[in-house]
Amino acid sequence: MTAYARIGAGTQPVIVYHEVVKRYGSFTALDRVSGQVNRGEVVCLIGPSGSGKSTLLRCTNALEPFDGGRVLFDGVELPRAESEARHVRRRMGMVFQNFELFPHMTALDNVAVGRVTVLGEAKAAARKRARSLLAKVGLSDKEASYPATLSGGQQQRVAIARALAMDPEVMLFDEPTSALDPETIGEVLNVMKQLADEGMTMVVVTHEMTFARRVGNWIIVFDHGRIVEEGPPAQIFDRPREQRTKDFFSHLGWGG
Amino acid sequence: MDFDFSPVVTNWRFLASGLVLTIVLALASMTGATLVGTAVGIARHYGPRWLGLVLALYIDSMRAIPVLVVLVLPMIVDIQLSPFATGLVALTAHLGAYVAEIVRAGIASIRPGQTRAALALGMSRVQVVRKIVLPQAIVRMLPAYGSILSITIKDTAIATVIAVPELMRQSETIAAQSFRPLEVFTTTMLVFFLLLFPVTRGVDAVYRRVQHLGRS
Repeated sequence: MTAYARIGAGTQPVIVYHEVVKRYGSFTALDRVSGQVNRGEVVCLIGPSGSGKSTLLRCTNALEPFDGGRVLFDGVELPRAESEARHVRRRMGMVFQNFELFPHMTALDNVAVGRVTVLGEAKAAARKRARSLLAKVGLSDKEASYPATLSGGQQQRVAIARALAMDPEVMLFDEPTSALDPETIGEVLNVMKQLADEGMTMVVVTHEMTFARRVGNWIIVFDHGRIVEEGPPAQIFDRPREQRTKDFFSHLGWGG
Repeated sequence: MDFDFSPVVTNWRFLASGLVLTIVLALASMTGATLVGTAVGIARHYGPRWLGLVLALYIDSMRAIPVLVVLVLPMIVDIQLSPFATGLVALTAHLGAYVAEIVRAGIASIRPGQTRAALALGMSRVQVVRKIVLPQAIVRMLPAYGSILSITIKDTAIATVIAVPELMRQSETIAAQSFRPLEVFTTTMLVFFLLLFPVTRGVDAVYRRVQHLGRS
Protein backbone atom coordinates (compact mmCIF):
# COMPACT_ATOMS: atom_id res chain seq x y z
CA MET A 1 0.00 0.00 0.00
CA THR A 2 2.63 2.48 1.22
CA ALA A 3 2.89 5.54 -0.99
CA TYR A 4 -0.30 5.02 -2.98
CA ALA A 5 -3.64 6.18 -1.72
CA ARG A 6 -6.14 3.49 -2.65
CA ILE A 7 -9.55 4.66 -3.90
CA GLY A 8 -12.15 4.43 -1.18
CA ALA A 9 -9.50 3.95 1.50
CA GLY A 10 -10.86 4.75 4.94
CA THR A 11 -14.46 3.90 4.03
CA GLN A 12 -16.11 0.55 4.53
CA PRO A 13 -15.07 -1.81 1.72
CA VAL A 14 -17.81 -3.21 -0.51
CA ILE A 15 -16.26 -6.67 -0.46
CA VAL A 16 -13.87 -8.19 2.04
CA TYR A 17 -12.24 -11.60 1.59
CA HIS A 18 -10.91 -13.09 4.77
CA GLU A 19 -8.77 -16.23 4.58
CA VAL A 20 -11.03 -17.77 1.91
CA VAL A 21 -10.28 -21.45 1.23
CA LYS A 22 -11.74 -23.49 -1.61
CA ARG A 23 -10.81 -27.08 -2.37
CA TYR A 24 -11.81 -29.40 -5.20
CA GLY A 25 -10.97 -32.81 -3.75
CA SER A 26 -7.25 -32.68 -3.02
CA PHE A 27 -6.73 -29.59 -5.20
CA THR A 28 -6.66 -26.30 -3.34
CA ALA A 29 -8.13 -23.65 -5.63
CA LEU A 30 -8.01 -20.85 -3.06
CA ASP A 31 -5.46 -20.97 -0.29
CA ARG A 32 -6.41 -18.52 2.48
CA VAL A 33 -7.04 -15.57 0.20
CA SER A 34 -7.58 -12.20 1.86
CA GLY A 35 -8.23 -8.86 0.26
CA GLN A 36 -10.80 -6.20 -0.30
CA VAL A 37 -12.66 -4.16 -2.89
CA ASN A 38 -13.48 -0.54 -2.08
CA ARG A 39 -16.42 1.45 -3.32
CA GLY A 40 -15.72 3.00 -6.72
CA GLU A 41 -12.68 0.85 -7.38
CA VAL A 42 -11.93 -1.22 -10.46
CA VAL A 43 -10.05 -4.23 -9.14
CA CYS A 44 -8.48 -6.49 -11.76
CA LEU A 45 -7.60 -10.07 -10.93
CA ILE A 46 -4.82 -11.35 -13.15
CA GLY A 47 -2.64 -14.44 -13.25
CA PRO A 48 -2.21 -17.75 -15.06
CA SER A 49 -5.20 -19.93 -15.96
CA GLY A 50 -6.32 -22.10 -13.05
CA SER A 51 -4.74 -19.79 -10.48
CA GLY A 52 -8.01 -19.20 -8.64
CA LYS A 53 -9.15 -15.81 -10.00
CA SER A 54 -12.48 -17.00 -11.39
CA THR A 55 -13.09 -19.18 -8.36
CA LEU A 56 -12.71 -16.18 -6.07
CA LEU A 57 -15.12 -14.21 -8.26
CA ARG A 58 -17.73 -16.97 -8.01
CA CYS A 59 -17.31 -17.10 -4.25
CA THR A 60 -18.05 -13.37 -4.15
CA ASN A 61 -21.74 -13.81 -4.98
CA ALA A 62 -22.06 -17.24 -3.39
CA LEU A 63 -22.35 -19.07 -6.71
CA GLU A 64 -19.54 -21.27 -5.44
CA PRO A 65 -19.60 -22.56 -1.87
CA PHE A 66 -16.22 -22.34 -0.16
CA ASP A 67 -14.61 -24.43 2.52
CA GLY A 68 -13.10 -21.90 4.86
CA GLY A 69 -12.84 -18.23 5.67
CA ARG A 70 -15.41 -15.51 5.18
CA VAL A 71 -16.63 -13.17 2.48
CA LEU A 72 -18.29 -9.94 3.58
CA PHE A 73 -20.48 -7.91 1.25
CA ASP A 74 -21.33 -4.41 2.44
CA GLY A 75 -20.15 -5.38 5.91
CA VAL A 76 -22.32 -8.48 6.17
CA GLU A 77 -21.09 -12.05 5.89
CA LEU A 78 -22.42 -13.98 2.88
CA PRO A 79 -25.29 -16.22 3.92
CA ARG A 80 -24.76 -19.96 3.57
CA ALA A 81 -28.42 -20.75 2.85
CA GLU A 82 -29.37 -20.69 -0.82
CA SER A 83 -32.68 -18.96 -0.10
CA GLU A 84 -30.84 -16.00 1.44
CA ALA A 85 -27.97 -15.95 -1.02
CA ARG A 86 -30.30 -14.70 -3.73
CA HIS A 87 -30.93 -11.47 -1.85
CA VAL A 88 -27.20 -10.76 -1.95
CA ARG A 89 -26.72 -11.93 -5.53
CA ARG A 90 -29.24 -9.52 -6.94
CA ARG A 91 -27.20 -6.62 -5.55
CA MET A 92 -24.20 -7.78 -7.61
CA GLY A 93 -24.14 -7.97 -11.40
CA MET A 94 -22.20 -10.76 -13.06
CA VAL A 95 -20.87 -11.09 -16.59
CA PHE A 96 -19.61 -14.44 -17.85
CA GLN A 97 -16.95 -15.57 -20.27
CA ASN A 98 -19.55 -17.34 -22.47
CA PHE A 99 -22.16 -14.56 -22.15
CA GLU A 100 -24.84 -17.01 -21.02
CA LEU A 101 -27.64 -15.00 -22.56
CA PHE A 102 -30.96 -16.81 -22.44
CA PRO A 103 -31.45 -18.11 -26.01
CA HIS A 104 -35.24 -18.30 -25.82
CA MET A 105 -35.64 -14.58 -25.15
CA THR A 106 -35.04 -11.48 -27.25
CA ALA A 107 -32.21 -9.15 -26.30
CA LEU A 108 -34.78 -6.85 -24.68
CA ASP A 109 -36.32 -9.61 -22.59
CA ASN A 110 -32.89 -10.89 -21.58
CA VAL A 111 -32.32 -7.49 -20.00
CA ALA A 112 -35.83 -7.18 -18.58
CA VAL A 113 -36.25 -10.69 -17.15
CA GLY A 114 -34.34 -10.01 -13.93
CA ARG A 115 -36.49 -7.04 -12.99
CA VAL A 116 -39.70 -8.90 -13.83
CA THR A 117 -38.80 -12.20 -12.17
CA VAL A 118 -36.69 -11.12 -9.23
CA LEU A 119 -38.00 -7.66 -8.41
CA GLY A 120 -41.58 -8.37 -9.49
CA GLU A 121 -41.69 -5.27 -11.65
CA ALA A 122 -44.39 -4.91 -14.30
CA LYS A 123 -43.29 -6.07 -17.73
CA ALA A 124 -43.82 -2.73 -19.42
CA ALA A 125 -41.77 -0.82 -16.86
CA ALA A 126 -38.98 -3.42 -16.94
CA ARG A 127 -38.85 -3.25 -20.75
CA LYS A 128 -38.68 0.51 -20.66
CA ARG A 129 -35.68 0.27 -18.38
CA ALA A 130 -34.18 -2.47 -20.54
CA ARG A 131 -34.52 -0.25 -23.60
CA SER A 132 -32.51 2.52 -22.01
CA LEU A 133 -29.81 0.04 -20.98
CA LEU A 134 -29.59 -1.42 -24.48
CA ALA A 135 -29.15 2.15 -25.70
CA LYS A 136 -26.39 2.63 -23.16
CA VAL A 137 -24.45 -0.33 -24.56
CA GLY A 138 -25.17 0.81 -28.14
CA LEU A 139 -27.65 -1.89 -29.13
CA SER A 140 -30.97 -0.08 -29.46
CA ASP A 141 -31.47 -1.57 -32.91
CA LYS A 142 -31.09 -5.13 -31.63
CA GLU A 143 -33.82 -5.25 -29.00
CA ALA A 144 -35.97 -7.72 -30.96
CA SER A 145 -33.03 -9.95 -31.92
CA TYR A 146 -32.47 -13.35 -30.40
CA PRO A 147 -28.98 -14.09 -29.04
CA ALA A 148 -28.27 -16.66 -31.78
CA THR A 149 -28.35 -13.86 -34.35
CA LEU A 150 -25.95 -11.55 -32.49
CA SER A 151 -22.16 -11.44 -32.69
CA GLY A 152 -20.10 -12.34 -29.63
CA GLY A 153 -19.37 -8.71 -28.83
CA GLN A 154 -23.05 -7.80 -29.14
CA GLN A 155 -24.07 -10.72 -26.94
CA GLN A 156 -21.61 -9.69 -24.26
CA ARG A 157 -22.89 -6.12 -24.33
CA VAL A 158 -26.46 -7.39 -23.88
CA ALA A 159 -25.15 -9.49 -20.98
CA ILE A 160 -23.65 -6.38 -19.39
CA ALA A 161 -26.98 -4.57 -19.82
CA ARG A 162 -28.76 -7.57 -18.25
CA ALA A 163 -26.52 -7.35 -15.19
CA LEU A 164 -26.91 -3.56 -14.96
CA ALA A 165 -30.70 -3.88 -15.06
CA MET A 166 -30.69 -5.02 -11.44
CA ASP A 167 -29.02 -1.74 -10.37
CA PRO A 168 -26.09 -3.61 -8.85
CA GLU A 169 -23.76 -2.08 -6.29
CA VAL A 170 -20.85 -3.97 -7.79
CA MET A 171 -20.20 -5.63 -11.14
CA LEU A 172 -18.29 -8.91 -11.39
CA PHE A 173 -16.68 -9.73 -14.74
CA ASP A 174 -15.39 -13.27 -15.34
CA GLU A 175 -13.01 -13.08 -18.31
CA PRO A 176 -15.57 -11.09 -20.31
CA THR A 177 -13.51 -10.93 -23.51
CA SER A 178 -11.83 -14.36 -23.53
CA ALA A 179 -14.43 -15.95 -25.81
CA LEU A 180 -14.58 -13.04 -28.26
CA ASP A 181 -13.15 -12.56 -31.71
CA PRO A 182 -10.31 -10.03 -31.56
CA GLU A 183 -12.25 -7.45 -33.57
CA THR A 184 -15.15 -7.37 -31.11
CA ILE A 185 -13.11 -7.21 -27.90
CA GLY A 186 -12.79 -3.44 -28.16
CA GLU A 187 -16.53 -2.71 -28.13
CA VAL A 188 -16.95 -4.70 -24.90
CA LEU A 189 -13.93 -3.12 -23.21
CA ASN A 190 -15.24 0.33 -24.17
CA VAL A 191 -18.54 -0.34 -22.42
CA MET A 192 -16.63 -1.53 -19.35
CA LYS A 193 -14.42 1.55 -19.45
CA GLN A 194 -17.51 3.73 -19.61
CA LEU A 195 -18.94 1.96 -16.56
CA ALA A 196 -15.70 2.48 -14.67
CA ASP A 197 -15.72 6.16 -15.57
CA GLU A 198 -19.23 6.43 -14.13
CA GLY A 199 -17.85 5.23 -10.82
CA MET A 200 -19.15 1.65 -10.84
CA THR A 201 -17.36 -0.66 -8.44
CA MET A 202 -15.96 -3.49 -10.56
CA VAL A 203 -14.09 -6.74 -10.03
CA VAL A 204 -12.65 -7.95 -13.31
CA VAL A 205 -10.95 -11.27 -13.98
CA THR A 206 -9.06 -10.62 -17.17
CA HIS A 207 -6.21 -11.50 -19.46
CA GLU A 208 -6.43 -8.07 -21.09
CA MET A 209 -3.35 -6.47 -19.55
CA THR A 210 -3.82 -3.22 -21.45
CA PHE A 211 -7.31 -2.86 -20.01
CA ALA A 212 -6.11 -3.75 -16.50
CA ARG A 213 -3.39 -1.17 -16.71
CA ARG A 214 -5.50 1.62 -18.19
CA VAL A 215 -8.80 1.11 -16.38
CA GLY A 216 -7.87 -0.83 -13.25
CA ASN A 217 -7.17 1.04 -10.03
CA TRP A 218 -5.95 -1.96 -8.12
CA ILE A 219 -4.34 -5.11 -9.48
CA ILE A 220 -4.26 -8.44 -7.69
CA VAL A 221 -1.90 -11.08 -9.07
CA PHE A 222 -2.84 -14.72 -8.49
CA ASP A 223 -0.79 -17.89 -8.72
CA HIS A 224 -1.60 -21.36 -7.43
CA GLY A 225 -4.60 -20.20 -5.43
CA ARG A 226 -2.72 -17.46 -3.62
CA ILE A 227 -2.30 -13.74 -4.00
CA VAL A 228 1.27 -13.20 -5.17
CA GLU A 229 1.17 -9.45 -4.92
CA GLU A 230 -1.23 -6.56 -5.22
CA GLY A 231 -1.00 -2.86 -5.81
CA PRO A 232 -1.80 -0.02 -8.18
CA PRO A 233 -1.19 -0.72 -11.88
CA ALA A 234 1.92 1.46 -12.03
CA GLN A 235 3.57 -0.67 -9.40
CA ILE A 236 2.43 -4.07 -10.65
CA PHE A 237 3.13 -3.51 -14.32
CA ASP A 238 6.23 -1.32 -14.11
CA ARG A 239 7.91 -2.40 -10.93
CA PRO A 240 6.65 -5.86 -9.96
CA ARG A 241 8.30 -7.03 -6.77
CA GLU A 242 7.67 -10.72 -7.02
CA GLN A 243 9.49 -13.06 -9.36
CA ARG A 244 6.25 -14.95 -10.10
CA THR A 245 4.60 -11.73 -11.31
CA LYS A 246 7.55 -11.10 -13.60
CA ASP A 247 7.39 -14.69 -14.86
CA PHE A 248 3.68 -14.30 -15.60
CA PHE A 249 4.26 -11.13 -17.61
CA SER A 250 7.13 -12.66 -19.58
CA HIS A 251 4.89 -15.65 -20.43
CA LEU A 252 2.39 -13.19 -21.87
CA GLY A 253 5.13 -11.48 -23.83
CA TRP A 254 4.43 -8.38 -21.79
CA GLY A 255 7.64 -6.38 -21.42
CA GLY A 256 6.88 -5.31 -17.86
CA MET B 1 -58.31 -61.87 -57.20
CA ASP B 2 -60.98 -59.24 -56.80
CA PHE B 3 -61.03 -56.53 -54.17
CA ASP B 4 -64.21 -55.50 -52.48
CA PHE B 5 -64.01 -52.42 -50.34
CA SER B 6 -67.77 -52.24 -49.84
CA PRO B 7 -67.58 -53.45 -46.19
CA VAL B 8 -65.33 -50.49 -45.48
CA VAL B 9 -67.65 -48.09 -47.25
CA THR B 10 -70.81 -49.46 -45.69
CA ASN B 11 -69.36 -49.44 -42.18
CA TRP B 12 -67.46 -46.17 -42.43
CA ARG B 13 -69.28 -44.64 -39.46
CA PHE B 14 -68.37 -47.61 -37.31
CA LEU B 15 -64.73 -47.35 -38.36
CA ALA B 16 -64.71 -43.57 -37.98
CA SER B 17 -65.93 -43.91 -34.41
CA GLY B 18 -62.88 -46.14 -33.85
CA LEU B 19 -60.61 -43.51 -35.37
CA VAL B 20 -62.08 -40.83 -33.11
CA LEU B 21 -61.48 -43.02 -30.08
CA THR B 22 -57.91 -43.76 -31.24
CA ILE B 23 -57.23 -40.03 -31.42
CA VAL B 24 -58.93 -39.32 -28.09
CA LEU B 25 -57.06 -42.15 -26.36
CA ALA B 26 -53.75 -41.05 -27.89
CA LEU B 27 -54.21 -37.40 -26.90
CA ALA B 28 -55.39 -38.27 -23.39
CA SER B 29 -52.51 -40.73 -22.87
CA MET B 30 -50.00 -38.25 -24.20
CA THR B 31 -51.35 -35.51 -21.94
CA GLY B 32 -51.14 -37.84 -18.96
CA ALA B 33 -47.70 -39.10 -19.96
CA THR B 34 -46.47 -35.54 -20.39
CA LEU B 35 -47.65 -34.53 -16.92
CA VAL B 36 -46.26 -37.67 -15.28
CA GLY B 37 -43.05 -37.60 -17.31
CA THR B 38 -42.34 -33.92 -16.65
CA ALA B 39 -42.84 -34.33 -12.91
CA VAL B 40 -40.74 -37.51 -12.79
CA GLY B 41 -38.01 -36.09 -15.04
CA ILE B 42 -37.69 -32.91 -12.96
CA ALA B 43 -37.78 -34.84 -9.68
CA ARG B 44 -35.11 -37.22 -10.92
CA HIS B 45 -32.80 -34.39 -11.94
CA TYR B 46 -33.28 -32.04 -9.01
CA GLY B 47 -34.71 -34.26 -6.27
CA PRO B 48 -32.94 -36.09 -3.45
CA ARG B 49 -31.06 -39.30 -4.14
CA TRP B 50 -33.57 -41.66 -2.55
CA LEU B 51 -36.36 -40.23 -4.72
CA GLY B 52 -34.18 -40.64 -7.79
CA LEU B 53 -33.71 -44.32 -6.99
CA VAL B 54 -37.45 -44.90 -6.55
CA LEU B 55 -38.22 -43.13 -9.82
CA ALA B 56 -35.43 -44.99 -11.62
CA LEU B 57 -37.12 -48.22 -10.56
CA TYR B 58 -40.40 -47.01 -12.05
CA ILE B 59 -38.75 -45.95 -15.30
CA ASP B 60 -36.67 -49.10 -15.64
CA SER B 61 -39.61 -51.42 -14.97
CA MET B 62 -41.84 -49.58 -17.46
CA ARG B 63 -39.12 -49.84 -20.07
CA ALA B 64 -38.57 -53.52 -19.32
CA ILE B 65 -42.23 -54.60 -19.39
CA PRO B 66 -44.02 -54.83 -22.76
CA VAL B 67 -46.88 -52.35 -23.08
CA LEU B 68 -49.19 -55.32 -23.72
CA VAL B 69 -48.44 -56.68 -20.23
CA VAL B 70 -48.96 -53.23 -18.70
CA LEU B 71 -52.36 -53.09 -20.42
CA VAL B 72 -53.63 -56.38 -19.03
CA LEU B 73 -52.04 -55.87 -15.59
CA PRO B 74 -55.06 -54.04 -14.07
CA MET B 75 -57.28 -56.98 -15.05
CA ILE B 76 -54.95 -59.54 -13.52
CA VAL B 77 -54.92 -57.71 -10.19
CA ASP B 78 -58.69 -57.28 -10.57
CA ILE B 79 -58.98 -53.50 -10.70
CA GLN B 80 -62.44 -52.63 -12.01
CA LEU B 81 -62.13 -49.93 -14.64
CA SER B 82 -63.75 -49.41 -18.01
CA PRO B 83 -61.61 -50.64 -20.94
CA PHE B 84 -60.97 -47.05 -21.98
CA ALA B 85 -59.88 -46.00 -18.49
CA THR B 86 -57.67 -49.07 -18.20
CA GLY B 87 -56.03 -48.27 -21.53
CA LEU B 88 -55.56 -44.66 -20.54
CA VAL B 89 -53.94 -45.50 -17.19
CA ALA B 90 -51.68 -48.18 -18.68
CA LEU B 91 -50.52 -46.07 -21.62
CA THR B 92 -49.97 -43.05 -19.37
CA ALA B 93 -47.85 -45.09 -16.97
CA HIS B 94 -45.90 -46.75 -19.75
CA LEU B 95 -45.25 -43.67 -21.89
CA GLY B 96 -44.73 -41.43 -18.86
CA ALA B 97 -41.51 -43.32 -18.18
CA TYR B 98 -40.21 -42.55 -21.66
CA VAL B 99 -41.24 -38.92 -21.45
CA ALA B 100 -39.48 -38.72 -18.06
CA GLU B 101 -36.23 -39.83 -19.64
CA ILE B 102 -36.63 -37.30 -22.46
CA VAL B 103 -37.30 -34.52 -19.95
CA ARG B 104 -34.33 -35.52 -17.82
CA ALA B 105 -31.99 -35.64 -20.82
CA GLY B 106 -33.33 -32.28 -22.00
CA ILE B 107 -32.70 -30.64 -18.63
CA ALA B 108 -29.25 -32.21 -18.32
CA SER B 109 -28.29 -30.87 -21.76
CA ILE B 110 -28.70 -27.23 -20.69
CA ARG B 111 -25.26 -26.13 -19.64
CA PRO B 112 -24.70 -25.12 -16.01
CA GLY B 113 -23.68 -21.61 -17.03
CA GLN B 114 -27.32 -20.85 -17.84
CA THR B 115 -28.32 -21.74 -14.30
CA ARG B 116 -25.42 -19.72 -12.90
CA ALA B 117 -26.42 -16.68 -14.96
CA ALA B 118 -30.01 -16.90 -13.73
CA LEU B 119 -28.94 -17.42 -10.12
CA ALA B 120 -26.57 -14.46 -10.41
CA LEU B 121 -29.56 -12.25 -11.25
CA GLY B 122 -31.09 -13.34 -7.95
CA MET B 123 -33.63 -15.88 -9.23
CA SER B 124 -34.74 -18.68 -6.95
CA ARG B 125 -34.06 -22.30 -7.91
CA VAL B 126 -37.71 -22.73 -8.89
CA GLN B 127 -37.63 -19.61 -11.07
CA VAL B 128 -34.45 -20.82 -12.75
CA VAL B 129 -36.11 -24.11 -13.70
CA ARG B 130 -39.37 -22.54 -14.85
CA LYS B 131 -38.10 -19.48 -16.68
CA ILE B 132 -34.69 -20.51 -17.95
CA VAL B 133 -34.01 -24.25 -18.00
CA LEU B 134 -37.37 -25.80 -18.94
CA PRO B 135 -38.22 -23.49 -21.86
CA GLN B 136 -34.89 -24.34 -23.50
CA ALA B 137 -35.14 -28.03 -22.59
CA ILE B 138 -38.61 -28.23 -24.16
CA VAL B 139 -37.28 -26.95 -27.47
CA ARG B 140 -34.48 -29.50 -27.41
CA MET B 141 -36.91 -32.27 -26.44
CA LEU B 142 -39.20 -31.70 -29.44
CA PRO B 143 -37.77 -34.30 -31.87
CA ALA B 144 -37.76 -37.07 -29.25
CA TYR B 145 -41.18 -35.97 -28.03
CA GLY B 146 -42.50 -36.17 -31.59
CA SER B 147 -41.34 -39.78 -31.82
CA ILE B 148 -43.12 -40.63 -28.59
CA LEU B 149 -46.26 -38.95 -29.92
CA SER B 150 -46.34 -41.17 -32.99
CA ILE B 151 -45.51 -44.25 -30.91
CA THR B 152 -48.43 -43.33 -28.64
CA ILE B 153 -50.86 -43.18 -31.55
CA LYS B 154 -49.67 -46.58 -32.75
CA ASP B 155 -49.66 -48.09 -29.26
CA THR B 156 -53.36 -47.32 -28.88
CA ALA B 157 -53.92 -50.18 -31.36
CA ILE B 158 -52.66 -52.61 -28.73
CA ALA B 159 -55.57 -51.52 -26.52
CA THR B 160 -57.71 -53.69 -28.77
CA VAL B 161 -56.75 -56.65 -26.55
CA ILE B 162 -58.69 -55.15 -23.66
CA ALA B 163 -61.65 -54.39 -25.93
CA VAL B 164 -61.27 -50.65 -26.24
CA PRO B 165 -63.35 -49.88 -29.35
CA GLU B 166 -60.58 -47.93 -31.08
CA LEU B 167 -59.72 -48.11 -34.76
CA MET B 168 -57.97 -51.48 -34.63
CA ARG B 169 -60.75 -53.10 -32.65
CA GLN B 170 -63.43 -51.78 -35.01
CA SER B 171 -61.44 -52.96 -38.01
CA GLU B 172 -61.17 -56.45 -36.57
CA THR B 173 -64.92 -56.54 -36.04
CA ILE B 174 -65.69 -55.49 -39.62
CA ALA B 175 -63.05 -57.82 -41.01
CA ALA B 176 -64.53 -60.77 -39.13
CA GLN B 177 -68.10 -59.95 -40.18
CA SER B 178 -67.34 -59.31 -43.85
CA PHE B 179 -64.60 -61.90 -44.42
CA ARG B 180 -62.66 -59.10 -46.12
CA PRO B 181 -59.64 -58.70 -43.80
CA LEU B 182 -57.28 -57.64 -46.61
CA GLU B 183 -59.39 -54.68 -47.70
CA VAL B 184 -60.32 -53.66 -44.16
CA PHE B 185 -56.80 -53.80 -42.73
CA THR B 186 -55.32 -52.13 -45.81
CA THR B 187 -57.69 -49.26 -45.13
CA THR B 188 -56.73 -49.25 -41.44
CA MET B 189 -53.07 -49.12 -42.33
CA LEU B 190 -53.66 -46.21 -44.70
CA VAL B 191 -55.64 -44.32 -42.07
CA PHE B 192 -52.84 -44.77 -39.52
CA PHE B 193 -50.31 -43.56 -42.07
CA LEU B 194 -52.39 -40.52 -43.00
CA LEU B 195 -52.76 -39.72 -39.31
CA LEU B 196 -49.11 -40.18 -38.37
CA PHE B 197 -47.34 -38.74 -41.38
CA PRO B 198 -48.52 -35.14 -40.81
CA VAL B 199 -47.85 -35.48 -37.08
CA THR B 200 -44.18 -36.45 -37.48
CA ARG B 201 -43.64 -33.99 -40.33
CA GLY B 202 -45.40 -31.27 -38.36
CA VAL B 203 -43.26 -31.76 -35.27
CA ASP B 204 -40.13 -31.66 -37.43
CA ALA B 205 -41.28 -28.44 -39.08
CA VAL B 206 -42.05 -26.80 -35.74
CA TYR B 207 -38.65 -27.88 -34.40
CA ARG B 208 -36.80 -26.37 -37.34
CA ARG B 209 -38.52 -23.05 -36.70
CA VAL B 210 -37.83 -22.88 -32.97
CA GLN B 211 -34.50 -24.70 -32.84
CA HIS B 212 -32.48 -21.53 -32.23
CA LEU B 213 -34.45 -20.82 -29.05
CA GLY B 214 -32.78 -23.79 -27.38
CA ARG B 215 -29.26 -23.07 -28.53
CA SER B 216 -27.29 -21.70 -25.64
